[in-house]
Amino acid sequence: MSRQEEDWRDEIESHLAMRADANAAEGLDPNEAADLARRQFGSPLRTLEDVRSVHVGRWLDHLGRDARMALRGFRRSPGFAAVALATLAIGIGASTAVFSAIDPLLFRPLPYPRGDRLVSVGFSGPIDNNEFQVSNAYMEWRDRQAAFQSMTSMTAGAHPCDLEVGGAQRLNCYNVEANFLSTLGLRPALGREFTREEDRHGAPKTALISYPVWQSVFHGDPGVLNQVVTLEEERVRIIGVLPAGFLMPQLGELDVMLPEQWDERAARNGTIFLRSFARLQDGVSIEQAIERMKPIFQDSLHTVPPELRSEVKLVIRSLRERQIHEVKLASWMLLGASMALLLLACANVANLLLARAAARHKELFIRAAIGAGRGRLAAQMLTESAVLGLAGGAAGCGLAYALLRAFVALAPGGLIRLEHAHIDLRVLGFALAVSLIGAMLFGLGPAFQRRRATTSPMFFRTALVASQIAIAVLLLTGASLFARSLQRLETQPLGFQPERVVTASFTLRRQRYRPQAAQAAFYREIEARLRAIPGGGLFAMSDSIPPRGSHGRPFSNMRIAGRPALPGGGMVAFRYVTPSYFQALGIPIVAGRNFEESERGAAYPPVILSATLARRMFGDENPIGQQIELEADGRYSQVVGVVADAKNAGIDVPPGPEYYRLRLNDATQLGPGAVALFRTSLDTETLSRWIRREFAEVDGSLPVAIQTMEKRVDAWRDRPRFVAWLVGLFAVFGLVLATVGLYGVMSFLVAQRTREIGVRMAIGATPRDIAVLIQKRGLVWTGAGVGVGVIAAVFFTRLVRGLLFEISPQDPVSMATSIVVLAIAAGAAAWVPSYRASRVDPAVTLRCE
Amino acid sequence: MRRGDHLQGALELVILKTLAAGPNHGFGITTHIQTVSTGLLRVEEGSLYPALHRLEAEKLVKGEWRITDNARKARFYSLTAAGRRRLADAESKWAAVARGVQKVLRFA
Repeated sequence: MSRQEEDWRDEIESHLAMRADANAAEGLDPNEAADLARRQFGSPLRTLEDVRSVHVGRWLDHLGRDARMALRGFRRSPGFAAVALATLAIGIGASTAVFSAIDPLLFRPLPYPRGDRLVSVGFSGPIDNNEFQVSNAYMEWRDRQAAFQSMTSMTAGAHPCDLEVGGAQRLNCYNVEANFLSTLGLRPALGREFTREEDRHGAPKTALISYPVWQSVFHGDPGVLNQVVTLEEERVRIIGVLPAGFLMPQLGELDVMLPEQWDERAARNGTIFLRSFARLQDGVSIEQAIERMKPIFQDSLHTVPPELRSEVKLVIRSLRERQIHEVKLASWMLLGASMALLLLACANVANLLLARAAARHKELFIRAAIGAGRGRLAAQMLTESAVLGLAGGAAGCGLAYALLRAFVALAPGGLIRLEHAHIDLRVLGFALAVSLIGAMLFGLGPAFQRRRATTSPMFFRTALVASQIAIAVLLLTGASLFARSLQRLETQPLGFQPERVVTASFTLRRQRYRPQAAQAAFYREIEARLRAIPGGGLFAMSDSIPPRGSHGRPFSNMRIAGRPALPGGGMVAFRYVTPSYFQALGIPIVAGRNFEESERGAAYPPVILSATLARRMFGDENPIGQQIELEADGRYSQVVGVVADAKNAGIDVPPGPEYYRLRLNDATQLGPGAVALFRTSLDTETLSRWIRREFAEVDGSLPVAIQTMEKRVDAWRDRPRFVAWLVGLFAVFGLVLATVGLYGVMSFLVAQRTREIGVRMAIGATPRDIAVLIQKRGLVWTGAGVGVGVIAAVFFTRLVRGLLFEISPQDPVSMATSIVVLAIAAGAAAWVPSYRASRVDPAVTLRCE
Repeated sequence: MRRGDHLQGALELVILKTLAAGPNHGFGITTHIQTVSTGLLRVEEGSLYPALHRLEAEKLVKGEWRITDNARKARFYSLTAAGRRRLADAESKWAAVARGVQKVLRFA
């Protein structure tokens, strides 16, 4: 507008100059002449304003008129409007719902100021899926580094802690370094963060509480500051409240934040397990930071056990990458799938508009004849598409909301932070953009066709149908791949039988059971009580249960008595179990014998190996009776049995090596957490009531989580299930849309060629010939679409290999399934119009002349 | 038809008629109308320019920058083919309206 506006201004200036010239010619001096000219003109600003309103007014006028015309047109053909609207609502709704679910993961800035400069720093090793730190190396790195503005650390996991405010509550506590919040760039909502002094060993205890804890436990009372509360049976002063919506950098659930308060010397010499995060110095990239940290990393390798050194690497990666790497591929795939569906929907609407344009040919022709310019007609068509797009967008937002509810119901843990996904302004903006871009896309169809009157309109429409079929094939192939992958995940052997197993897990409050003898006494008592539950069935205790192990030790620590070190690295999972553990979980003993109850008092109890570990240590040799060292502590245990492998690293990877130690009645071996297992014939509800009663009688304040083993295992399938269902849903939508598209074009074709068909029949074609003629057309288009779709599927499914479980992306069964399903649908879509064509009465059509 | 259409029609008519004599700029149009009507009609600049732009947007006139005889830059407007048709149309309509009004004034 500005160049135009300058033009208008210049025009007025030129007018004033000429008027001044005229005035001067009548004998006024130049200044007076110019002044008079200005007075004679009146208000130039006002004139400029009026000129502007002429242009803007016309534009608005046209827009309004076109929009009204579009609405009137849609009212006149409600069938067209309904189908177009429903199609668009599906495309926009699906993509908007997916966008709202993945936006916080992929696109939205992290909830930290300049969060793109935050990185996660640490070692990567076979111990953990994520990079980790140990205190001695961390302190060396922190003191010597020159890559980061600041570096901070936190204890690797939350520890359950009990807050005593109006009854005990089990909360999640994390210990962090004093500069934790400031490194993230955050400030408490209330109060302040920890000082260096408060982080010193032996300093008076202080704590920050999360916003939800402040709201629920302290009812949002600002007087919470400096209040002294009892946490883990210690007096702790609350010095601040974390901001609302605070997100731990590793996505942990946090209720209370405590300072680390390390003993400096112990930390420098020990290996406290940590996570560390840092803010990059200005102008330093992640690659440069890695270069700068490399020498320091090399120097600190001495802290790593020598056998593990070759397996340990330096990792510095962006915080976003750290947070989403597990779901990144799934997120992009879902976005891609929903976009494909949107494209299909747009192609469908373009086709509908083309059909309509053909019917409206006369109207447009008349409008052109009475002087509507090509631009005006195009503007009218685009306004029409925009109105359609916006209406479809509005309906799509409604559908997106419903879909999002369905996502969460379908798979609560489907994607991280899915429960936080909601429709907000950003998402609505996305929907608006998608609607308008979509409107452009399908609005271009008719515009393209009108300009190139020479190209056959049928060709363009055919290409659109073929592309719809191609996208449908792609979606269907993806859906059957994910469905088959999920099915394998659900039916694969786990190595244990989760049916009818109920688990009860708990973590003792550290302070209450301080003398270890008290802990041992508790376990003895609870074991006796739980074992005596009538109908409880087989009862066992363990410190952890599959499909994941809570502990691992380096394989390189293991020795066979009297033999040289074993080759190879990696970790070995292990558990402490009672003798009935294997029977309760249905893990078969393949060689040797089980533990015996009487061995639980022994000083050197035996060990049982998993089949994988036995093979790795002994090959074909018989392991039974061998003495092995487990933890490089000079103590040997006798191998008494070998059990079958059971999943211990998640359900989608093969089980790793594992050994089982006998759970002793010895205080030094027992930790604060344990799981009780029941293989029972009782219903879960009754059993859990009885379990709770027993726990309550021993320790009334101890929270116990009771869950069936099947539910526990099933939670591992949330994400694959989410992906499979979603892609399946898109594939169904896509199939329906493509079928409707094919049907529409075929019907149009038949209507257009009625006369030709009549002639053919008059000169002897049978109804069958006609049906074949029509169906052949449908077959050609479908064939072309399927061909392109298969090529696209081969290309795209390769990209999602990482999301598939024990199935190849080129799985022929999935490909064939999708082609067969599509062929059936397309056949049905083509049959109806071809049948109608074969019933054409030549006498009637020829009389129409 | 909108209110003021007749008066606005009159303004457009005199502008189109002026331009039928040859391309002219806004200032030239005001002086021409004033001179030819012997001072009976005076066109306000505040109405002239919006009217000119409206005519241009409707493709009845076409504007372009040129240099005047006095070596000033000015935006010259000229009639388009559509403008010529509109002028003929408007002239006959105006004549009818004028005759009608004249008769009403005489016999009412």
